[in-house]
Amino acid sequence: GSGDGRGPARGSNELVAYKNVNDVPPSRDLVIQVDQRNEAILLPIYGSMVPFHVSTVKSVTSHQDNRTCTIRIFFNVPGMPFSNDNNLKSQGAIFLKEITFRSKDPRHSSEVVQQIKTLRRQVASRESERAERAT
Amino acid sequence: MADGHLFSNISLGGRVGNNPGQFRLHSGGVAWKKQGGGKTIDVDKADIISMSWMKIPRSYQLSVGTKEGIRYMFKGFREQDVSNLTNFIQKNTGITPEEKQLSVSGHNWGAVDINGNMLSFNVGSKEAFEVSLADVSQTQLQGKTDVVLEFHVDDTTGANEKDSLMDLSFHVPTTNTQFVGDEERP
Repeated sequence: GSGDGRGPARGSNELVAYKNVNDVPPSRDLVIQVDQRNEAILLPIYGSMVPFHVSTVKSVTSHQDNRTCTIRIFFNVPGMPFSNDNNLKSQGAIFLKEITFRSKDPRHSSEVVQQIKTLRRQVASRESERAERAT
Repeated sequence: MADGHLFSNISLGGRVGNNPGQFRLHSGGVAWKKQGGGKTIDVDKADIISMSWMKIPRSYQLSVGTKEGIRYMFKGFREQDVSNLTNFIQKNTGITPEEKQLSVSGHNWGAVDINGNMLSFNVGSKEAFEVSLADVSQTQLQGKTDVVLEFHVDDTTGANEKDSLMDLSFHVPTTNTQFVGDEERP
């Protein structure tokens, strides 16, 4: 059976969060954000909001310890069900595998983790439906 | 001010987010001071080894690389500033700023490039993000293929941001030939 989060093999060309730099939504605050419309998550890295397509996300967890929350995002890397193993272009590529943030805001932290999980699930189930129809 | 170009609303990017301030490009180099006082940056043109422009969402970013391997990122320039400043830079320093492109495709696979203190993650020919290895407190090898970079975290870290970067890890497949036997040390 197919494991959780298994998606169809899609070409890397289709997996594009934004086509142009100006398509990235404006943000005043450097906080983790979810862009539902473009199926992307935006992560604050060194003062920039860096987008990742939600299909690159394998899982996300949050932890709360007193007043400090940590948000940890795992990305798909080769050798896992949903990856671009058969994409020649990614052979020899280096993958961002995991990234951890410390958050000052517990509510935001649990909200954004939930949003990422929901969006990930939506996109994965839509893609697997599409794959089933295609066969 | 006869000498150079002055901009009152240019942010300095980096680990702790963006700080607004005043940027000055003059015949002697580059200067920046934080709005309301505090941090100042002065780079003598003799210490500048590279400069580059990048289109970022809603503005342009100027990177200034120094001999010491530091790279400063100034954000908030308009399109028309780019050509003006490029002329000035060329005339004064002899350096022609490179043009870099920002990757917004959202891919998590690409290549890692280390230049001075800066590590950049590039997707295709475009740059997705940069981090400074000077802020890395520890690097670890996990298994044979994973490299973890841990960043210094203290109470002042991320004063401007709600979510601050603690660590990230790269998966370097054995098929990768760039970092064979390389410890990837800062």
